[in-house]
Amino acid sequence: MSQTDVAELRDEFDRWLTSTLPTDYYDKYSTYRWDLGLRREYQRASFEAGWIQPTWSPGQGGRSLPPAAALEIRLRAALRSAPKLPNIAGPNVAAPAIRSFGTPDQVSRLLTPCLDGSEWWALGMSEPEAGSDFASLRTRALRTGDVFTVNGHKIWTTQAHESRWAVLYVRTDPEAPKHKGISCLVLDMETPGVTIEPVRMASVSDETFCEVFLDDVEIPASALLGPENGGWQVAMSALGHERQMIWVMNWVETRRGLEALRTNRKGTCDDLHSTVGALLADAEALRLNGYRALHNESSGRPSPEGDILKLFGSLALQRTWETVAAALGPAAVTDPDLEFERHDGLAATIYGGTSEIQRNIIGERLLGLPKG
Amino acid sequence: MQIGPNADQLELQAATREVLSRSCPSTLIRQTYTDPRAWQDLWKTAVHTGWTQLAVRGIGPEDFGLTTTDLVLTLEACGGALAPIPLVSSIGVAAGALRTIGSRALDLLTDLADGSIATLAVQPSGQRLPGLALTLADDGRVHGSAQCVADAVHADLLVALCSSGDRTALAVIPIGDGVLIEPAKSADPSRPLAVVTVDAEAIESASVDFEQAVAPGLLALAAELVGIAQGALDIAVDHATTRRQFDRAIGSYQGIKHALADDYVAVERARALVYGAAALLDDAAAGPQVWDACALAKAAANDAALACTRTAVQVLGALGQTWEHDIHLYLRRAWVGAALLGDSSSLYHVAGRRFMSEGAR
Repeated sequence: MSQTDVAELRDEFDRWLTSTLPTDYYDKYSTYRWDLGLRREYQRASFEAGWIQPTWSPGQGGRSLPPAAALEIRLRAALRSAPKLPNIAGPNVAAPAIRSFGTPDQVSRLLTPCLDGSEWWALGMSEPEAGSDFASLRTRALRTGDVFTVNGHKIWTTQAHESRWAVLYVRTDPEAPKHKGISCLVLDMETPGVTIEPVRMASVSDETFCEVFLDDVEIPASALLGPENGGWQVAMSALGHERQMIWVMNWVETRRGLEALRTNRKGTCDDLHSTVGALLADAEALRLNGYRALHNESSGRPSPEGDILKLFGSLALQRTWETVAAALGPAAVTDPDLEFERHDGLAATIYGGTSEIQRNIIGERLLGLPKG
Repeated sequence: MQIGPNADQLELQAATREVLSRSCPSTLIRQTYTDPRAWQDLWKTAVHTGWTQLAVRGIGPEDFGLTTTDLVLTLEACGGALAPIPLVSSIGVAAGALRTIGSRALDLLTDLADGSIATLAVQPSGQRLPGLALTLADDGRVHGSAQCVADAVHADLLVALCSSGDRTALAVIPIGDGVLIEPAKSADPSRPLAVVTVDAEAIESASVDFEQAVAPGLLALAAELVGIAQGALDIAVDHATTRRQFDRAIGSYQGIKHALADDYVAVERARALVYGAAALLDDAAAGPQVWDACALAKAAANDAALACTRTAVQVLGALGQTWEHDIHLYLRRAWVGAALLGDSSSLYHVAGRRFMSEGAR
C-alpha cells in the first residue's frame, strides 16, 4: 500500500469515527470513557465497518489490509481516544486463537459474536499455584471417550462473571513434560459445575478479576482448540497477540498522560522538564520500535525489538502517571481519574507477563544468558 | 513509514563491520593512545572504502544513493569497533552543519568526502549545551575560543557556529595561521579534544539556523554511542555467560541477567530514536521537530552508552578495573561521546521545557 493509500484510509477511518461517536464525545470524555452502552455500540459498529481486525478478510469482519496499514488505523483510533473495547480479551486474544486454531465449526459458531461483542470471553490461564509459571498449571481434564471431565481452580480470570465463554487451559497429560501436557478447551460458562466468584478490585476498574471453580465440568472433545496436548502453542500465540496490543495501549496512554500534563500544568513544573523530555523519548522510541518490529516481521527478518515492547511500554506508562501525579501536588490525590490511571499503570507491569518474566525472556532468548 | 535499515543497508553495514574487524583490533586503539599517527592507516581505509563519501549523500554528483540511515549505520559500526578515526567529527558533525548552507558547501564537502578532515567548534566555555563560542565580524574575520573541539589536532578545516550581530553564522576557517590548537587531556586519547582559539579570516560563511546546523551532529554522535553501548553490552554478556561462581554461570543470576536485559532495552530505545531521526533528517517536509528528534536520540544514546559501560564494568568485577581488559576503552569513548553536544539531562530538559510551553499540537 502506498503512503497515499494509507492516508486515504486514515481519512476514511476518521470520517467513520466522527460519524460514529456522539457529537459531545470529547467534551464529556471523562464520563463517556466509562459508558458501557456506548462502548458496546462502538464495538459493534467497528466490527460492521471492518475496523476491528483490519488485516482479516471481509468475511471475518476485516478489510484484508496489510499489517502496516492496520497498525496506522490502530494508532489513529488510539490517538483519537476511540472508546475502549469493553471486553478486550475477546477480539484481541480469543478471536485470533479461534481463527488460527479453531475447527470450521468453532470458527462459524464463535468468531462473529466474539468480534461484535455480543458474547464476551475470559482467559482461563492463571491458577493459585501457576502465575508466571503458567506451564505448571494443575487444572486436570480427564478424557473418557469424547468427553473431558475437568476439575480445578482458575484465578485472576478477568470478566469471567460477564463472559459467555472462556479459553481454558487444562492438563490433559500429567506424565508428559509440563509444557507438553497442556490442552486448550473452549469452556461454555453455563456448563454445570462452573462456579464464578468475582474478586473485589483495589481500583475502580471495570475489568474485574474472578475466581473460577471447576467441579466435574464435562466438556466435549469437540471443544478442543488446537490439538490435544498442543495448548502451549495456543497460549504462546495468544500472548503474542496480547503483547502486540499492549504496546499500542501503553503508547497512547503515555501520550495522553503527557498531553494532560501540558494542558494542566503549562509553564510550571520546571523541575520536571528533564523527566518530561525522557518520557517524550520513551513514547517515541516505543512507537518506532513497534514499527521496526512490524517491518522486520513482514520482511521475514528476526524482530527482537518486539520482545522489549511489553517491558518498555509498561514502564514508560507507569513513569508517566507518576510524573503527572508529581506535577499536580496534593491535588493528585483528590482526582479519582488519576487514581485509576495510577492503579492501571501498576497493573501494566504485571498483566501479559510480568516485567521480571520479560527480563528473563530478553536475557535468555535475546542475549543467550543461561537459565537460572 | 520505513524505520531503520532495509536489507541492502544491512548488508552494507555488515561489510563495514567486516572491514573493521580486520583493520581495527583493540591493539590499534591502544596504539593511538601513545602514537599520534597510528589512526592514519585506518583513515585511509575509511576514505578508500567510501565511508567518507557519506558527506555528500543526497547532494553530490556521485553519492551512490546513500542516505542518512547509511551514515548512522556506518557510525554505529565504527562505535562498536571504537574506530579511532575522526569519521564522526568530520563526516557526521562538521559536514552535517556544512550541509545546511546548501550548494555553496559542495566543494568543501567534496574535499571531506575525499579525506580532508573538518571539525565543529560549538562549545562555549562553562556551558553544558552547545552554543556560539566564536564571533564573525563584518570584515569576515572570526574571533574567539571554543572548548572540547573533537579531533581538532587531526583536522584541516574548522567549521564554527558564530554570533554575527543578531544572527547565527556558519564560518569555515582553514587550520593554520591564526588558529591555535591546545590539546586537552581527553579521557579518551583516541578521541582527542582541544581548546581552539581563532583570530583568522573565514573562507566561507553563511547565515544558518543554529538548531538545524547542530542537529545532524547530535544524531551522528548518538549513532556512534549506540555502537559503543552495543559493544560494551556484548562484552558483558560474553563474560556473564562464561564466568562461573557458586558453580553456575553468573549470567544465570537474575541480579546480572536483569541488569543486562535493562541495558538491552536502553540500546534498542536509543537505536530506534536514531533510526527515526535519520529518516526525519532526510525528509524535506520535516520542520523544527528535527532538532527535537536528534536531541532525544542523543540523550537516549548517552543513557544507553553510559548504562552499558557501567554495567559491563560491574559485571567484569576486578577485571574491569584493569588496564589490560578492553572495557575501559569503551568506557572512555562513552564518557567523551556522552559529554559532547549535551549530556542527557540537559537535552531532555530542553525538549521537555519546549513541549511544556507549547500549545497542544
